[in-house]
This record gives sequence, C-alpha cells and structure tokens, in this order.
Amino acid sequence: MSDTKYLFRRNRTWWVKVAVPAALRDELGYDLRRSLRTSDLDEARQAREPVVAEFRRTIADAERRRRRMCHEPLDSGSGFVVTAREDFSDVTFLLEVHHPQLARAAQPGQFVLVLAHERGERIPLTIADFDRDAGTFTMVIQAVGKTTREMQLRCQVGSTLHAVVGPMGCPSDIAGAAKVVCVGGGLGIASIYPQLRAFQERGAFVIGIVGFRTEELIFWEDKFRRHCDELIICTDDGSVGIKGMVTDGIEVALARHPDVDELVAIGPPVMMRACAEATRPHGIRTTVSLNPIMVDGTGMCGGCRVTVGDEMKFTCVDGPEFDAHQVDFADLMSRQRRFRDKEQFAAERWARSLETDTADAPGGGRR
Amino acid sequence: MTKKTIRTIPQERTTIPEQPVAERIHNFCEVALGYRPEDARREAERCLLCPEPACVLACPVAIDIPGFIEQICLGKDRAAYDIVADANLLPAICGRVCPQEDQCELVCPVGDTLEPVAIGRLERWVGDRALAEGWDTGAAVERSGLKVAIVGSGPASLACAADMAKAGCEVIVYEALHEPGGVLRYGIPEFRLPNHVIDAEIANLTKLGVTVECNTLVGRLFTIEQLVDEMGFSAVFVGTGAGSPRFMGIPGESLHGVLSANELLTRCNLMGALEFPAYDTPIDIGTRVAVIGSGNTAMDALRVSLRAGAEQVACVYRRSREESPARLEELIHAEEEGVEFHWLTAPVEILGDDDGAVRAMRCIRMELGEPDESGRRRPIPIEGSEYDFETETVVYAIGTRANPVIGQTSKIALDERGYIRVDEHLATSMAGVYAGGDIVTGAATVILAMGAGRRAAAAMKAYLGIRDTAVVYDERTSADRRWFGIDAGERNFTRLRLPADDAVGVGGT
Repeated sequence: MSDTKYLFRRNRTWWVKVAVPAALRDELGYDLRRSLRTSDLDEARQAREPVVAEFRRTIADAERRRRRMCHEPLDSGSGFVVTAREDFSDVTFLLEVHHPQLARAAQPGQFVLVLAHERGERIPLTIADFDRDAGTFTMVIQAVGKTTREMQLRCQVGSTLHAVVGPMGCPSDIAGAAKVVCVGGGLGIASIYPQLRAFQERGAFVIGIVGFRTEELIFWEDKFRRHCDELIICTDDGSVGIKGMVTDGIEVALARHPDVDELVAIGPPVMMRACAEATRPHGIRTTVSLNPIMVDGTGMCGGCRVTVGDEMKFTCVDGPEFDAHQVDFADLMSRQRRFRDKEQFAAERWARSLETDTADAPGGGRR
Repeated sequence: MTKKTIRTIPQERTTIPEQPVAERIHNFCEVALGYRPEDARREAERCLLCPEPACVLACPVAIDIPGFIEQICLGKDRAAYDIVADANLLPAICGRVCPQEDQCELVCPVGDTLEPVAIGRLERWVGDRALAEGWDTGAAVERSGLKVAIVGSGPASLACAADMAKAGCEVIVYEALHEPGGVLRYGIPEFRLPNHVIDAEIANLTKLGVTVECNTLVGRLFTIEQLVDEMGFSAVFVGTGAGSPRFMGIPGESLHGVLSANELLTRCNLMGALEFPAYDTPIDIGTRVAVIGSGNTAMDALRVSLRAGAEQVACVYRRSREESPARLEELIHAEEEGVEFHWLTAPVEILGDDDGAVRAMRCIRMELGEPDESGRRRPIPIEGSEYDFETETVVYAIGTRANPVIGQTSKIALDERGYIRVDEHLATSMAGVYAGGDIVTGAATVILAMGAGRRAAAAMKAYLGIRDTAVVYDERTSADRRWFGIDAGERNFTRLRLPADDAVGVGGT
C-alpha cells in the first residue's frame, strides 16, 4: 500500500488535491489542486504537507468568512433601514423600518411584502403599527421557518432589507360597528393592534382579547390597555387573566356584552376558525385576516387564492380580510402546507450551515 | 449598387443557429443563438428595399425596416442601430419576442415567392450588436421641466418612458416588484429573453434620464390622484398590464400542485426557485406536469417545466393545433423538446390524494363545431369520453385578467371587465392620465403593448404642449446626415439637440 493521500497523478506529474466542503463550492470550486512538478512519488510525499496545510487554511478562512456572513447583519444597501428592534420571546421579535411614504399610506388591516436579501423569499407580514410623524412602520415576526429565523438572526438596528413593498391589500372596514371585539393570537396579536386603535379612535366600544402561552411572553399590554375599553388576556397556563384559549375569552366577552355587533380575529388559521365557530350561533359579523403563501402580492400569481363562500378570492388584492363565516379554513390550512417538505429542508439546511465546523476539512481522494 | 430583384437575392432564408435539443432542455441558455455577422449580411441582402415598404406599416412601432436593413448591407451597423432606436429603444428584446411572422414578415413581398426576410432576427442582431458595443442613442435631451410618471415597468411603460424622456420630460417609472421589466422579467423565461438583455436595455433608458423606482405599488403607496394633485406630475401613463390569472372553477383547484403559469414563471424567472435552496423561494413540480392552454405563456410554462426536471410534460388544449394561439416557432420548439400535446382535450376535474396533492386530472375529449364569434371553431365535449390523466402538477395558462390595484384605488373609469377605458388617443377618464398595453386591450403581445406605449406618449406630448416629432421619422434622407436620430435638414425640432454646455443626461458620444 503506497501512501498517496491527497495525491493524484496527471500524465507523469504528481498533484495535490484537497476536496472542498459542499457549502463552499460556490466560492472555491469542487476541490483545490496544485501540481508538485515532480514525477517521483517520494518527492511528492515530502512536498505534499505544506501545500495541504495551505489549502486547509484557505478552506478554513473561507468557512470562517461564510459563517461570519451567516450571522452578519443584513445589508443590501437599500433604503429600507431597520430603526428599532425588540425581542418579545425566543421566537417573536419586532422590527421597525424607516419608510416615510409607507408610514403615511398605511391603513389598519394592510400588510407588506418583505424580501430580506437578494436570494430571499417574498413573505407577507402584517403592518403591526405605523408612525406617520417618525416615518416608520412596525412588523412583529415569529421566527418559524428559514426566512424568518434568518431575519431574527441578521436583522439588527441599522440593517437594511433588500425589498419592502406595501402597503398591500384592502384596508379594514372600521366604519360599521359600535361595539367590537378584537381578537389576537399567536402572530396575530400585534396585527390586531392598528385595527383596535382605529376602532377606538372612531369612537367604538372596543373589547380586546389577546392570547399568550404564559405571562413572560406578554407584550404591548400597555398599548392594548390604552386603546381598549376592556382588555381580556388569556393564557394557556392561567398565569395571567383567563386560563384557556381566546375562544374562552370570547365567551366571557359575549356574556358580558350581548350587544357586540362585530368581531375581528387575527391569528393562526385554527384559532380564526374557532373564533368563527364561536360567533356563528350569535350571528355576529366576524372578520378574519388571512395570511397564505404569496409571491408578488399584486394579484398576479394566484398563489394566495382562498375559497370564500363559493368563490375563489385572491387574498392579496381581494383581502386580506374576509367574512369568517364564509372562509373555507380547511382549504386554507391545506394550502399553507404546500411547500412543507421544502420549507423544512431549507430550515434544517440553514440551521446546519450555522453549526458546521469544517476546521477539519474532509481529506482528499474523494470523488 | 445594382437594383436587387427577387431573382438576384439569396433564395434561402438564413437559418439562425440553435442550441441542440438534447442540450437545451437541461439548461436555461437561449435556444436561438443569434446571427453571426456573415449571417446578418447575407440575410440583409435578401431585402428588396421596397420604396413603399409594407413592413413599416405592419410594425406597431413603425421601425424604418428597409432603412436599417440597408445599413446592415453597407456594413454600417451603428447607423442601422440608430435607425432602429429611433422607433424602438428595446430592439434586443423585440427581436426576440415579437411575433414578426404576423406583422412585418407577413407582408414582406419577398414572402410571396420565397420565405420572407427574417426581419426579427436582423433586429435582434442589431440590438445585440448595440449591447455588445455599448452603443446608446447618445441623445442630449433638453429638459422641458415637465414631470411624467409611468406606472408599471413592462413593455408599454418602457416604450412610453423612452419617448417621454426623449421629449425632455423628467420620467419616473414605478414598479411594484423588486426588479424592473414587468412581464419581460417575471413572465418570459431566460431561454427566450435573458435577464442581462433586459438589464442592458433598461440601462439605456436610464442614460436618457429615466428613473426606475422599484418596490412601489402605485394605488396603495400613493394613488394616481396623488401623483397628479400632490406629487407634481404633469402627466401619468398607466401600463400595469393584465397579469391576474384565470382559473376554470372546476373541482380540485385548491389542491397542492395546481398553480397558475404566472406563479410558476414568477417563482422560476424572478425568484430563482430552480436554484432552491441557494435561493429561498421553493417550487415543487414533481416529475409529471400538465399545462392547460396553448398560448405563448403555456409554451413557456411547458418548456420551463422540462428544464426544471419534469420527465413527462403535457399540454392540454380544448381546440386543435391549428387554433393554438402560440407563435409557431414556440410551438415547434416545444414539440422538438418532447412536450406531449393533447389536442381537443379539456379538463373537467382535478383529483387529489389524501395529503391534498394532485394525483390526476380527469379530462374529456372535444370535437370542433361551428365557428364562434372569434372565428375559431367552437369545441364541443364528446359525451362519455372522460379519462384520467396522471400528473403531479397542473398549470393553468388559460389567460389573464386586468391587474386590479389601479381599478380598486382610483376613480379612473373601467369597462365591465375591469380594463381601463380610453379614447382614441389612449386618454383615460382622468385628465392627463393615459393608459395602454394589456391594461386596456387585455392580454396581447409585447410589441403591441410597446406600440400602445408610443401612441400614448405621442398623445401625452400633445397634451403637454410638446411638439410631436413624427416628421422626423417620415422625412428621412440618409443616415449619414443624421445626428442623434434627427435629420440634419429637419428644422424647428424641440426634441433633441446636439450636446450643449448645460445638457443633462448625456450618454455616449
């Protein structure tokens, strides 16, 4: 057995070859190789070590650069600058973005599409707040998939997002109701806030219901209190307020106020469906804000189509708010799972890429 | 030069080199590789240089076709480009995607006895030469101080923007997506129209002083009314297009794996889904794809699916091959590449599995009956001819509707189908607001949209009191006496001037 590790022969000359880890091949190529300018195997063995060491250093440097890049704040050089960030829990965080035109135009119920970086994915996010004077708007994001987790890691104050477009969708109809219940759960807690505020500013009696898992995860309580005539907090463990789901909160509210004439619910589809069922027997007008998979957000791809009544609607231009009693939630939930496998693959791959330690790169001779 | 006759010109049409089928279905490189210089000269020789050219009248943007072909014959490519660019600032795009066989090449007298002159291929060659050499129109534009907003950045908008910029207006193009180009970008795949060509042609526009602002959804971020009333624009052109996909309303349309051609193409062309996971946008088409419809969009969807790795790609169309609205060239390319065509077939139901994914499509056979109002024979279902067709992906390419956002957010009058209502000058119901392209006519071609963009620009110039320059295109003497597209003998023009000290937006020479 001759020792030809890292060595191969082309014509009569010996070469060194070190394989490059898969994650770095875009940058470095499949492997690093160099001629040793000798046809003698013993000489080649002696000359091998420094070259292999050098190649390993190159690979390690590239890996360090790449890992630094994975963690580095996003900076696309665009004008969409993150001006504030707040972390509410290990998955929920708030980003405030500078965009004076959008802040001026935004209405309750509308959303934005965000493309975090050039190779990213366009994701819809509800506008959770806007400040026309400061020229900023706020999004509250739950880090659940690759894109949102990457944003959680890489969006810092001063970061820039590659693209932000909006406000999209039809504004909420806040004209009708005199007494309204606004329900927020999960990623919908922040989204319900602009509507709740608008209802209150318009003079309606507003009952807010927000659901959290436990006391530590509660955020914006003061903001909600300021704009609600009555606030009901529900927690899964009963550490604050009512123990149970937001639907338990709805029961309490409806018992206390039989004259409620509208309910607006934003949250995961399961929750919105439960809310719709809770109000159906009472015949209360119920509105939900849907958040399906979208690409362009201007009505051109049809990816966000939902069944409302017997009609097909595009959430991005016909919604995002629809009559909860008409929405086919089973359909909505099924369509949100469209890319489940790919999403899971991307998230796992990304998580791995953060951890990989390739200081000890795989050896040569692998084909 | 002796006069050319039908007998003296090269008899055979010069073929365009193409990528071999076996290779091209695995890559996104262009299929038609473009003429080499000797091909272009030879093909240019085939033009009879008719004194009253029918082709110019058949061209929606009225390019002086014999004029530029003559320059190619003389070896003066730069002069050829200047002539094309007078009428059309996007020759590399139009040479690729125009249906020339239904326009200029259809009326070419050479086509009466031989194959018509390959005008489209020559236009593309001129456009590609200009891109390779970095030529631009080199215009020194005298600013008129007027501001014009263009809504959308598709072909109609770009053509209008070019003309308004040449007229000295400050032009801002608003695009909702994060890349400009509209359907050229998200719709037409890389192998038919490479993105670098779009970038280069748009860069030429910016040299004329056009500003492109992406990520701006007009109607929602600000309205058309605000553009005119608050933001100081003197005129607005709306070219938002018709991109809202239609579905058929048959059972099973919300299953995973049913998507519009627009979604498929946007994910692949704009978002880089085929390079997932290097790009974050996913697409999942499986190994068997069925595309419903047989227009150009359907051909694009079929051919993208092949390149994305689908093994069995089928086109399902309720009429026969003769009625197919796709360009013949696209149809032939798709056939060569191994697309299965199911003519006289219509889907009636999409069948799913327990997981909510597509399993198969139930189709019914059709036969052709009497011609309908469109002149095409109406397909009639043959009873009892249903059969199941196994597939994992169903793509809808059966047409589109008007994009709804402008209609939802402004008071511009629409027709009953949601398209913008315009008069013969393409003026909408709102003063100073013009519209053209698919948002007026419904889905059509790139060049018809560009023609509409230019007609709207002419009307907008009249509205703004800028003298229209049609005369410049009519009274041509010789290319040698022209600077920046302006005839030296032409008097009293206000459009372009030789570079002056205070000239802005000077590019090139």
